[in-house]
Amino acid sequence: MNPLRVSAAAEPAALDTLQAALGEFWAERGLPADARYAFELALEEFLMNVVMHGQTVAAAKTIWLELDTPPGAIQMVFEDDCAPFDPTGRDAPDTSLGVDERGIGGLGIHLVRQMMDRVDYAHASGRNRLTLTKHLAPASPDRASPDRD
Amino acid sequence: MQVSLEQEAGVTVARAAGRLDFTAAEPFQKELESAISASDKGVVVDLAPLEYVSSAGLRAFLVGAKAAKARGVGFAVCNLRPEVQEVFDLTGFGRVVSLHPDRAAAVAALVGT
Repeated sequence: MNPLRVSAAAEPAALDTLQAALGEFWAERGLPADARYAFELALEEFLMNVVMHGQTVAAAKTIWLELDTPPGAIQMVFEDDCAPFDPTGRDAPDTSLGVDERGIGGLGIHLVRQMMDRVDYAHASGRNRLTLTKHLAPASPDRASPDRD
Repeated sequence: MQVSLEQEAGVTVARAAGRLDFTAAEPFQKELESAISASDKGVVVDLAPLEYVSSAGLRAFLVGAKAAKARGVGFAVCNLRPEVQEVFDLTGFGRVVSLHPDRAAAVAALVGT
């Protein structure tokens, strides 16, 4: 099967469009429900980053989403043409702090890294590119084939 | 997302249903703040019908916890679904807000304070 590709203007309204596309992809490929949360969360966290950074520039910006199921895994590629920004480069937040010391910065990428098996960042051809991979546990013997395409 | 408010033993119980994403986070935060400022013994947020929370949604709980502390009332969260519980666990938000397995325990904790 071909990957699903969707693009949208980098604005908050894109969230519903992209989440709907993700839901359709899940249903079409019969993917496990318990793996979906991590992708919905990653989609929102990265879109929010782009929208927040995108507000500082005048030109309209775009995001591109690609979803695929390589053997034994689910993969999402999230690209944008905003200023180069590597969210994987920041330090993990201190999750041991209580209410008085606690800030909110960095929690989104921290969650994504914890929930995914792999998060890779690259900047090429004027785009930020985040590649997220989550491995699928074989659900049952008849679905254990590594390539379900 | 929808929020409905009920009173129980002087505690305001806010039942939050649906998806707490970045578009829902700000209105939810404002509802929490106004519930806290109007409450007698504090606010319990019942998350039984909550399907999803992101880092933007967590911010609302942090703001709520700070507002309750400043006012000297209680603030607690209960009935987290496993996937929502995981988000609280991975971010250490169990140390930011007090988590309870059910509504009765959360209300009792606030009434006792």
